[in-house]
Amino acid sequence: MPKLVNIKKSVMAADEEHASFIRNIMREKGILMINMIGSPGSGKTTVLEKLLPALDLRCAVIEGDVATSKDAERIAATGTPVVQINTQGGCHLEAHLVRKALQDIPIDDIDVLFVENVGNLVCPAEFDLGESFKMAISSVPEGDDKPLKYPSLFHKARAVLLTKVDLLPFIKFDKSTFWNDVKKLNPKASKFELAALEDKGVDELVNSIKDWLNEVRGN
Amino acid sequence: MHEMSIVEALMEQITKMAQEQNWEAVTRVRLRVGVMRQIVPDILEFCFNVASKGTIMEGAILEMEEVPLRVKCEGCGHIWNDKEFLGLCPECGSIDVNVLGGMELELTNLEVEVKHAKAREH
Repeated sequence: MPKLVNIKKSVMAADEEHASFIRNIMREKGILMINMIGSPGSGKTTVLEKLLPALDLRCAVIEGDVATSKDAERIAATGTPVVQINTQGGCHLEAHLVRKALQDIPIDDIDVLFVENVGNLVCPAEFDLGESFKMAISSVPEGDDKPLKYPSLFHKARAVLLTKVDLLPFIKFDKSTFWNDVKKLNPKASKFELAALEDKGVDELVNSIKDWLNEVRGN
Repeated sequence: MHEMSIVEALMEQITKMAQEQNWEAVTRVRLRVGVMRQIVPDILEFCFNVASKGTIMEGAILEMEEVPLRVKCEGCGHIWNDKEFLGLCPECGSIDVNVLGGMELELTNLEVEVKHAKAREH
């Protein structure tokens, strides 16, 4: 005779414990941890390359990629401590991978930890890494329909970056459609427009990161 | 496709319980899945069937109960079910709305066969 066993527990309970562990460390050390999520080629690494030298804060980066350490090399060139995670086919980062990577991050000597997730608009949004918040990155060439097509990410993100706005004159992209859809999904999201290669919009982001850091430190 | 990661976590949790509680087989697995979790039920089932081969969960039936998106307006108190999240109260237009349900990913219960100590039956 089969026996019925009641469980009522999250399927991801084990990974959620890792996420809580990370969140507690970040709180204790007063670190702002940002989980950056966007498509491959949306400009996540380029934004970091411009942001890191402009921030007069102590930063570190965890790079998530399916393969190679190309992104980590680009970050290392800015002089920022960086750890590369290769997921070997996995389409997103999970908290247990980040917890392991933290062992190589100087957590006693940093203010901000950026986690650049694997390029993907779907799966990374579903896994809590213990971050302070998620940041969505969407570029002009991807089209203005991305928020409504990937609502989960845009709903959860505290900040939304529209990158490569210098390409607007050349691409069919309606900025008001994009931002109106973001507003529908997430009225409280902070909005940024960047053309990182031309250093446009970087200062605004720098200022907000300082505000967010003060917020996590309760200042 | 994050369904395989979810199946791995699910199977790990069940395997651990099976060892602790001496189960011989798991015949049914019931989940509650919120519509906001971006899970494709067919893919989750396919992953489970493939990954469970050769384990005590092989052949188990995976049942998924869909949990609708439920939203509450903190302004006027209106609560409603929706197909997709739009952060606006249809009653009063407030943007101060919170998701009450639809984010679940819960292992509800299992049907299992418990190992019997055969020697004692004689």
